[in-house]
Amino acid sequence: MTFGTILGAWIAVFLTLAIFSYLYKDNPFYKVAEHVFVGVSAGYWASMFFWTQIQPNLFGRLWPASEYSADSFWYKIYDGLHVLTSSVFPAGGIDKGHDMHLIYLLPFALGIMMLLSVSSKLSWFARWGIAYTVGMAAGLRAYGFLNSNVIAQIKGSAVQFVGGDIPFFALIGNSIFNNVVILVGTIAGLAYFYFSKEHKGAFGKLTKVGIYFLMISFGASFGFAVMGRISLLIGRFVDLIDYSKAQYNYATIWMLLIMVVVLGYGAFKDKGKGAKVSG
Amino acid sequence: MKKITDFILNIGKMDRRWIFLIIALVVLLPLYFPIGLPIRPTDSTQTAYDAMDKLPPGSKVLVSFEYGPSTKPEIHPMTYAVLRHLFKKEQKVYITCLWPDGQFMAEEAIDEIAIGEFNLNEGEDYVLLGFRPGNEAVVKGIVSNMRKLYSTDARGTLTDNIPMMKGVNKLADFDFIFTASAGYPGTVEWVQYGADPTGIPMSTGVTSIQVNEVMPYVQSGQVKGILAGMPGAAEYEALVGVPGIGTSGMDAQSIAHLVIVLFIVFGNAAYFIERQRQKKY
Repeated sequence: MTFGTILGAWIAVFLTLAIFSYLYKDNPFYKVAEHVFVGVSAGYWASMFFWTQIQPNLFGRLWPASEYSADSFWYKIYDGLHVLTSSVFPAGGIDKGHDMHLIYLLPFALGIMMLLSVSSKLSWFARWGIAYTVGMAAGLRAYGFLNSNVIAQIKGSAVQFVGGDIPFFALIGNSIFNNVVILVGTIAGLAYFYFSKEHKGAFGKLTKVGIYFLMISFGASFGFAVMGRISLLIGRFVDLIDYSKAQYNYATIWMLLIMVVVLGYGAFKDKGKGAKVSG
Repeated sequence: MKKITDFILNIGKMDRRWIFLIIALVVLLPLYFPIGLPIRPTDSTQTAYDAMDKLPPGSKVLVSFEYGPSTKPEIHPMTYAVLRHLFKKEQKVYITCLWPDGQFMAEEAIDEIAIGEFNLNEGEDYVLLGFRPGNEAVVKGIVSNMRKLYSTDARGTLTDNIPMMKGVNKLADFDFIFTASAGYPGTVEWVQYGADPTGIPMSTGVTSIQVNEVMPYVQSGQVKGILAGMPGAAEYEALVGVPGIGTSGMDAQSIAHLVIVLFIVFGNAAYFIERQRQKKY
């Protein structure tokens, strides 16, 4: 096993136990892990966004290698950028299989405008980029929701009650009983969110049925949430068990011991301080 | 009787750190001493398996990785099992990622399954197209013209030079979509902008917390089956016939659930007893 793998295991164990230590109480180990997590995530995301989209798909379309000409003014700008950083702007243009599309100057400009939000004087420029993003997302989402969540779901809840060869009762799958439950649940659930009529009398009873359906749904969500958290705990424990083996130099055991001793010492010192103050 | 109610009240007042410790122990012990509780595939897992199993060999399957290390224990066993199934059936696998960390999850799965177990060739049997930022806009891009979005794959190879990319220009050129999703963007976006507009059959594996959100699409037939969290992964592993992390975690999962249910029962009982006593005095 390489030194890098063992070191990686020790770091993974430290970060896992540091996060778990929060269950005892807030402490410096947890703070370190929290800050490392935020920093590494931000760095990784920024780098991925740059190297998978901005460099190949934006700069690659503005200065493609296929149309490189050292005499053109446009590529003279590129050569200047190449002097600054040759990894982003390699010699002879960017070869990512694109043709030149100067229309991409528009998203480039909008992106720069978004970055101007850091300046108090020029921050108004950022509104243009945000406006475009919000408008685009709203249009895109409206279409997606209408098609898949409204029309397809209405179609999906148009169920069969009589005829055909569906059984009267089945625990799972299509049956007359299950289809009646879908119908009652859908209507009662929708009725609960109808606020133009007071929830009284027969309508009130219907909305009460709706509440029961909603409660069952929330209960299922809670159950799934617990299941998910336990799965994540299992995943971390599986790794901790792996890293407690001899080939990783008993990383889990050593790290756990160190943390328990340090936190125990901290608690002991705090207790001493508390006693002095109260005394 | 008073002794029992006092005992329940004491449990209700227990320091939460004891509960953490008990949960840790009930999860840890079955991992060291497995019981081997039986795993039976549910309807939704079986539907997903059947949908992929009946694809003819050489079908083009788009597998999208929308998860990261934070949800790895739930989703990674699913993708391993699904990739095993697809490669065993000699399907062509095209991997995309809507999450940046999905790319290194995909690389890990490729190393272990495609290369380690099946000794397959990149560009001929599978291709890692990689991550592109843009959420649902990426799905829309794949639907209309994926060559614009993916002029190169994740290794920087021009897609024009990749043999298995010949004739693959848009989502409609695929035979099946499988998304391994832990949130936004993920399964919902693939249904809304990918599967529904093109009619390409789709299945998914999601985190437990997402099941309720995605289930309506399964019920209406927009999604062909669903692998629901770690149990879904274990069930798929059982169907493929290769037990993995999903299977080994199921004992711990079941016992932990039992203990949590007991805590909920005791907690509620303590609450009602206390309320009863307050009414009395």
